[in-house]
Amino acid sequence: MTAVAMTLDRPAAVPKAEEREILLSVENVSLSFGGVKAIRDVSFDIRKGEIRAIIGPNGAGKTSMLNVINGFYHPQEGTITFKGQRRHRMAPYIAASQGIARTFQNVALFKGMSTLDNIMTGRTLKMRTGILGQAVYWGWSQKEEIRHREVVERIIDFLEIEHIRKTPVGKLPYGLQKRVELGRALAMEPELLLLDEPMAGMNLEEKQDMCRFILDVNDQLGTTIALIEHDMGVVMDLSDRVVVLDHGVKIADGTPDEVQRNQNVIDAYLGVTR
Amino acid sequence: MLYREAGQFKTSYAGDMAIFPIRQDRIGLAILLAFAFVVVPLLAYFEIGPFGHDYIFKAILIPFLILSLAAIGLNILTGYCGQISLGGGAFMAIGAYAAYNFSLRIPELPLLFSILLSGGMAAFVGILFGIPSLRIKGLYLAVATLAAQFFFDWLFLRVPWFTNYTPSGSVNAPELNFFGWVVNTPAERYMLALMFVTVFAVIAKNLTRGNIGRQWMAIRDMDIAAELMGIRPLYAKLSAFAISSFFIGVAGALWAFVHLGSWEPLTFNIERSFQLLFMVIIGGLGSILGCFLGAAFILILPIFLDQVPHAMGVPLSVETVSHLVYIITGALICFLLIVEPHGFARLWAIAKEKLRLWPFPY
Amino acid sequence: MEGLGPFLEVLIGGLLAGVLYSLVALGFVLIYKASGVFNFAQGAMVLLAGLALVRSLDFLVAKGLPFEVAVVGALLFAGAIMAITAWLIERYVLGPLLNQSEMTLFMSTIGATFIIEGAAQMLFGSDVYPLQLYPTDAWIILDEVFPGGILISKLDVWGAVIAGILVAGLAAFFQWTRTGRALRAVADDHAAAQSVGIPIHWIWFVVWLIAGLVAVVAATVWGTKLGVQFSITFLALKALPVLIIGGFTSIPGAIVGGLVIGAGEKLAEIYLGPYIGGGIEYWFAYVLALAVLLVRPQGLFGERIIERI
Repeated sequence: MTAVAMTLDRPAAVPKAEEREILLSVENVSLSFGGVKAIRDVSFDIRKGEIRAIIGPNGAGKTSMLNVINGFYHPQEGTITFKGQRRHRMAPYIAASQGIARTFQNVALFKGMSTLDNIMTGRTLKMRTGILGQAVYWGWSQKEEIRHREVVERIIDFLEIEHIRKTPVGKLPYGLQKRVELGRALAMEPELLLLDEPMAGMNLEEKQDMCRFILDVNDQLGTTIALIEHDMGVVMDLSDRVVVLDHGVKIADGTPDEVQRNQNVIDAYLGVTR
Repeated sequence: MLYREAGQFKTSYAGDMAIFPIRQDRIGLAILLAFAFVVVPLLAYFEIGPFGHDYIFKAILIPFLILSLAAIGLNILTGYCGQISLGGGAFMAIGAYAAYNFSLRIPELPLLFSILLSGGMAAFVGILFGIPSLRIKGLYLAVATLAAQFFFDWLFLRVPWFTNYTPSGSVNAPELNFFGWVVNTPAERYMLALMFVTVFAVIAKNLTRGNIGRQWMAIRDMDIAAELMGIRPLYAKLSAFAISSFFIGVAGALWAFVHLGSWEPLTFNIERSFQLLFMVIIGGLGSILGCFLGAAFILILPIFLDQVPHAMGVPLSVETVSHLVYIITGALICFLLIVEPHGFARLWAIAKEKLRLWPFPY
Repeated sequence: MEGLGPFLEVLIGGLLAGVLYSLVALGFVLIYKASGVFNFAQGAMVLLAGLALVRSLDFLVAKGLPFEVAVVGALLFAGAIMAITAWLIERYVLGPLLNQSEMTLFMSTIGATFIIEGAAQMLFGSDVYPLQLYPTDAWIILDEVFPGGILISKLDVWGAVIAGILVAGLAAFFQWTRTGRALRAVADDHAAAQSVGIPIHWIWFVVWLIAGLVAVVAATVWGTKLGVQFSITFLALKALPVLIIGGFTSIPGAIVGGLVIGAGEKLAEIYLGPYIGGGIEYWFAYVLALAVLLVRPQGLFGERIIERI
């Protein structure tokens, strides 16, 4: 069953960021709601295997950008090229089936279900048994459930959430909910993982754990990660390259060091009027 | 102490994912099934106790089983998938009249297939009325289901083809002949209903704990997030409508054929839809066990209010009983919504939790 | 011009009947506008109001009071009953569910519906009670223009006038008074309204009281039309298509919706009905509402639902 087995212990060879191939490319994307322009003519790329941070002051359009990549919002202008295929509009289903997974700013877990069930929903796209088979369960469907359960258990193990696997997620504290949400995204075995403020509302310990998980996912599975984050320390430590947005416009793009020294970025964060 | 799980470790995922992972539950279920399948028919045959009379079958057990089946159907749609439906009665009607017409116009077709096909018919209509659910949500969807309810009320009343042009509007069920076994006595009807309901309950349980069940619940809880994970709302919602309507349709056919024997469209009107909805709310949205608990309660309440005051020497008129049923049912719904929104099923689960620790408080 | 006379008659009759639906829909809109709760029990409230009214009226008349005095007494009694009901509902049904989801509150009003229906009939009886508070004959107008003239029911016209007055009064109330503003705030966000000091429980009581009084008015008209009986509760279901067309939060919309449904129903019955078996009034309103929803999922006047993550 090697097609399904997700080995969390196989290291991937990691060349330098700029030398890798481009996984996702955003070209001249503009997005507006009614009269409000959320994103203006933004272009950047995300390379395979890197951790790309998207930062910027509040309201800069970062979450909207992720929503566009995901296919939830459709940009009025511009294209997204993912794995070589260029699109004007991405349907959410296509994004998911092509290997894009994400977490949300306000945790979007299925509150009526347990941790285990939530993460199992991430396996939906990989499950093949039809309804008739599921109705009978014993036999084909049961074997498949067990196979996917094994994968999910390894994720649970990796994220250290065994003790809450049967708890309804509505009852979990915020930090653990975020972890479960990460697990659910991982269950999709994504090539590109979009994380929307994965550490918001966490204390120092929880942040350190989350950083560790994110690094491990990138290191051991080779998953490309795009991450929105406000904590500058985290951004500098984790990311290979950074894109800075402000009021819907890209104002910087480069390594953490380059971006940190960029005057436009400093101005934007300090609120200096141009 | 009786209910401790100590020592029952699951050594395989299969064990953990079983329908009744706790051994005491399995024993309890085995006893219940043995009683239902073996003991009751024997008692009926030898005419022992209440099982010697028709009443307990005709007034309690048979309607309980069939309504539980309908409740399971509605729970799949409303409890698991979160699509509110006030059209349960209409789908029962579709099942009943479809089965009637299949058995009437294609007499070669074995009765079992007539019933299953009528479920299929109901499923088909369910899909049609489910299509709006892709755009219409919540309360608005309830109105769409009302449209179905009233339309089919009218259809079976006013379009005489469905009732084979009978002047009175009421029709009779065909002889219940299942591959040679002619079902006649109440005890036999009970066995028939029991077999149907057991099979369907198992299927429902399998579906709701499997992949499609999780998809339904994901759509219910947060359909946007579900879509972004690759769950297709179209597929999930329509499958919920289809399967739910199938169950309710079969229940309708059984209600007409096995319980009533002869019926008119009124038995499937909006009051029936509310009755089903109440069973599901009181028993517990999102719980198969809850369907049985809710059906039992709704069915037994009027009987209880009729018999008990009578036995205590203070008989209540039929009207008073009916009014009291309304008041108690309404009050219970309000009460449960405040105290335990997951209905009797959750109260039952909590009781079991307490049992696990009993006699210790923690 | 031959068909025009009958057509006008059906149209006018339908429009007027539609206004009567609006009377019931108004109660829904009030409560929804002011508390964000969809009150499924509005129909039951009309039944309760009607029963209280007609039974007390019969009682007072039997005691020898002149009719007009008895009517006033009966109206006061019905009003008092609705006030008690409003207090009970606020205290025991809705109050405990403050801040819960819309669906939960809606389901609790379904529960309240059945409590009210059962209690009303237990207290006041479950027969059909005729009521005669308005003239029930008809005017015949324009009989020079159309053969036989056009029949217009006086009761329907009275109902339309009363509905018009209610709508104007309530719309003004919401728009211009302080209480009206507070009500709109509560409808928007319970927790926020509380945090600025709006006394939610009192507000909810007031709203349900007003809706209860609207129910009394609706009961006078519908009770005269149909007699006070259990089937009046089904008016609540008929109000749903009205609300879908007119919007859940628009007071004038309730009238517009009522007109559309009322006229649509009657016209469909007369002109479509004969082709498909008759009696399509039974479901036409709902199917019409469904058709509207398919085109505009938020109803004709509702706000577009924009989903955000």
